[in-house]
Amino acid sequence: MTMATDSSTPNSDFQFPPLYNFPPFFTLQPVLATRKSQLQSWSSLIQSYCRHHRLWTLTLVDALETPLFNNTKLSRRLSLRDARAIIDWMTTPEGDSRAEWIPTTGKKPSRSDEYSEAGKCWIYWKRPEEWASALEEWVDRTGQKGTVLTLYEITEGDATRREEFWGMDSTLLAKSLAVCVKRGKAQVFGAEGSEGVKFF
Amino acid sequence: MGNSSSTNKITPRDKAILDLKVQRDQLEKYQKRISVITNREKEIAKECLRRGDERSAKLALRRKKYQESLLEKTDAQLAQLQILTSDVEFALVQKDVLFGIQQGTQVLKEIHREMGGIENVEKLLGESEEARAYQEEISELLANKMSNQDEDEVEDELEALEAEVSGVKLPEAPGNRIDLTEEQKAARAKERARRRAQERAAGQAAEPMAA
Repeated sequence: MTMATDSSTPNSDFQFPPLYNFPPFFTLQPVLATRKSQLQSWSSLIQSYCRHHRLWTLTLVDALETPLFNNTKLSRRLSLRDARAIIDWMTTPEGDSRAEWIPTTGKKPSRSDEYSEAGKCWIYWKRPEEWASALEEWVDRTGQKGTVLTLYEITEGDATRREEFWGMDSTLLAKSLAVCVKRGKAQVFGAEGSEGVKFF
Repeated sequence: MGNSSSTNKITPRDKAILDLKVQRDQLEKYQKRISVITNREKEIAKECLRRGDERSAKLALRRKKYQESLLEKTDAQLAQLQILTSDVEFALVQKDVLFGIQQGTQVLKEIHREMGGIENVEKLLGESEEARAYQEEISELLANKMSNQDEDEVEDELEALEAEVSGVKLPEAPGNRIDLTEEQKAARAKERARRRAQERAAGQAAEPMAA
């Protein structure tokens, strides 16, 4: 589920931007202005790549081998250090908070260096609050206000196969629903592992 | 939880429905697992055949068959669960409808009570009829009070109005003033003088007759 590399094959091929075939793109530039625009381009590339392949998280060491960071045609690839710098930038408000490191240990590390080599992160091509709105919109559109829905049927059911949130990581779903709950639009209840949600 | 959820409570009924749906999900998951297993058995059978091990291939296929029979059984159970959940949800809708009808009837009754029953309505209608008859009587009395002269005047006015309405429409007078040249002014003055002289002559001619 985390690295849905096999489920991406039925999709049509991802169209990489022209910048992807430009060798210097794979080395982070030292000049600040250049670097910033480069970070922005990488951020949007990562987001659209993950959106296309419906990836919710990236595990950096694995991702470095995928076409996203490894351009076999140019035989250029992004280094782990640069990839981490890009994700780091994406987690900042300046990077539009489009990523979030997933802590491996219980404590919340402040710097990315504290992560193991296999840094894992959320890629928010939609942030939890954006997902919350999408879910609310879906419930509204399908007239399911007041009905009890299981979390499983939201992400895995046949009825939602055409929705963007189909196959969503359960943790991310829980995060998004928490936003709905905070907005007073939904209530999550039930035992651990078999939770349900009721939208109002 | 939050203060906003105070109006939206999760009822025990919701929990029961959730349990039902979770059961349904579990069956679905089980089916997924079985289909993975049957696919794997098929692969194993293929692999065995390639190696020429017919016996193992048969065994794998037999296992696959068994799993498939399980799948069929769960299909029926799944359908049953789905029907039950739909029934429960439909019953809830029915309850809402019933509640709506109840409310509506109550409101309707209340409004009827405010109107004070059939007798009151009848009485009111009777009264209104009476008042109307009275008014008619007054009108008649007033109409009879009119003198013949008044009636004549009324008729004259009516005729005049009719003539105005149906009669020839007069052309409108030009709105703007016509500026006359000196020559024209002089001509008009002369014309006027001539007309006045004529009139005077006619007046003198008529006087001796009057005298």
